[in-house]
Amino acid sequence: MFTALLAVAIGATVLSGLVTVYYDIPRQMMREFRSYGANLILAPSGGAASLPAGEAERALRYFPAESVVGAAPYRYKAAKINEQPFMLAGTDPAQARKTSPYWFVNGEWPQARGDALIGQNVADTIRLAPGGEFTLTGLNSEGEGFSRDFRVSGIVQTGGTEEAFIFVSLADFDGLIGETGEFDLVECSISASADELQGFAEQIAEDVPGVTPRLVRRVTQSEVTVLAKLQSLVYLVTVIVLLLTMICVATTMMAVVAERRQEIGLKKALGAANRSVAAEFLGEGMFLGGLGGVLGSALGFAFAQTVSVNVFHRPIAFQPLFIPATLAVSVVITALASLIPVRSATDVDPAVVLRGE
Amino acid sequence: MNLLELNGVSKVYGSIYALRNIDLAVERGEWLAIMGPSGSGKTTMMNIVGGMDKPSSGTVILDGVDISKESAKNLTAIRRDKIGLIFQQFHLINYLSALENVMVAQYYHSLPDEKEALEALERVGLQDRAKHLPSQLSGGEQQRVCIARALINYPALILADEPTGNLDETNEGIVMDIFKQLHRDGSTIIVVTHDPEVAEEAQRTVVLEHGKVARIVAANGEAAAYYEK
Repeated sequence: MFTALLAVAIGATVLSGLVTVYYDIPRQMMREFRSYGANLILAPSGGAASLPAGEAERALRYFPAESVVGAAPYRYKAAKINEQPFMLAGTDPAQARKTSPYWFVNGEWPQARGDALIGQNVADTIRLAPGGEFTLTGLNSEGEGFSRDFRVSGIVQTGGTEEAFIFVSLADFDGLIGETGEFDLVECSISASADELQGFAEQIAEDVPGVTPRLVRRVTQSEVTVLAKLQSLVYLVTVIVLLLTMICVATTMMAVVAERRQEIGLKKALGAANRSVAAEFLGEGMFLGGLGGVLGSALGFAFAQTVSVNVFHRPIAFQPLFIPATLAVSVVITALASLIPVRSATDVDPAVVLRGE
Repeated sequence: MNLLELNGVSKVYGSIYALRNIDLAVERGEWLAIMGPSGSGKTTMMNIVGGMDKPSSGTVILDGVDISKESAKNLTAIRRDKIGLIFQQFHLINYLSALENVMVAQYYHSLPDEKEALEALERVGLQDRAKHLPSQLSGGEQQRVCIARALINYPALILADEPTGNLDETNEGIVMDIFKQLHRDGSTIIVVTHDPEVAEEAQRTVVLEHGKVARIVAANGEAAAYYEK
């Protein structure tokens, strides 16, 4: 019986643990996925070249504050270094760092006025290294020429077009090009599921006329695919564990019935109806299931917590509803697993008690 | 008036006859012994009379009911209500006390009644051992608990299978005294035994050989052809 209890407890532990993880995976993975970069872009509406800063801020208020990982505004303008054309980008470096955590920066992000983060292509072309200086020239929004010296705070590698960009702070950009109070786009990293994100985007598109939100499909679709695969895996493992638990309980109960064959025979010889024998064994099985379920609920949360801390590096949220659910599933699984042994118990011939057969 | 009647009872396993055309009548309040060598059909007869098996042919009338054609469910009820079983190996449940072992039979019959179960133990002289586990009792004491369990529901027929087979002489005497008292109180008893001294206490002894009644011997030792049909 101890073996059966152990089997149920282990089964319930894995079940409770995996279901807790399964339930928490989207929440945990959404945070993990933020390292993929921005998953929503706020772009100008219609044919407009830029979006007003006020409208962008209004759009950002549609997201719950705790789900906004970062929102980096960008302004772009063509500029030259040593007569070589590049794209100058003005942004909030602190926010850009949050929306693009996968960027590899050799050196530092821009800290002060006059700092620039240049792409690897720019650095290769001009032969610049962190700490080096260069002169940026170009035309401002009024069409007047500008020339200004910058210090290379760092060189960025992204594997994308950003490697041909020169990133400076918005204040420096506005100082060179002229302050317009508008952005070309805002890259947002939002901790939400694809469906939630789609809902926010639709609402913003409807309510904020100057802004067109666009989901970064490459990121959101990957999230959906990975989540679906992970959840299928957990579901499959849970089903297999439940089946193994059932087999283990059924085998142990069969052994118990075989061991207590004489006792069952005696009870039947004394007049125990099959119903009584069945109720007795089913009751024992269900009690075992309940006890295993209680143990499994407690151990399952500890198991889920361990998995979450080790895999996702974050604690898991306790779900009180999983306790009665684990108990109910354990009892049902044990009852089902006991059906064949119970049948075997009711088949015991009462005559076994005679002559020690 | 007969409590039990076997009419032309046969039991066949494949082509082997365990019992062949047995006719036997047992009166109410009678003490009958069944003897015979191994393989003579004693156990098969016990099973059929005790409602644990059905004959291949013939009828078994117990307390006016033909139990040879009853369903397994009805046979269970008949065992519970009409028969008290006593076993050579006692068959006590080892994790229950003497008192609880007696109450098990009450539980399946009606409702457990501790006072009544204690009285049954008192009848076999074990009131002081009620709380003891079987492992704490001697063989004789275990057999007396088994007898108390068989008596607890006031059965019409007490069926004992080698009741003294595992006992020493002293305990055999104690158990036989209990049987004598039960007989004096009017109980109908059938005892299967190898022991001629135990059989001698019965009013009649049925001797089985090769599944057939070889002879019926009265207590005075004379052949009782009168009872043979």
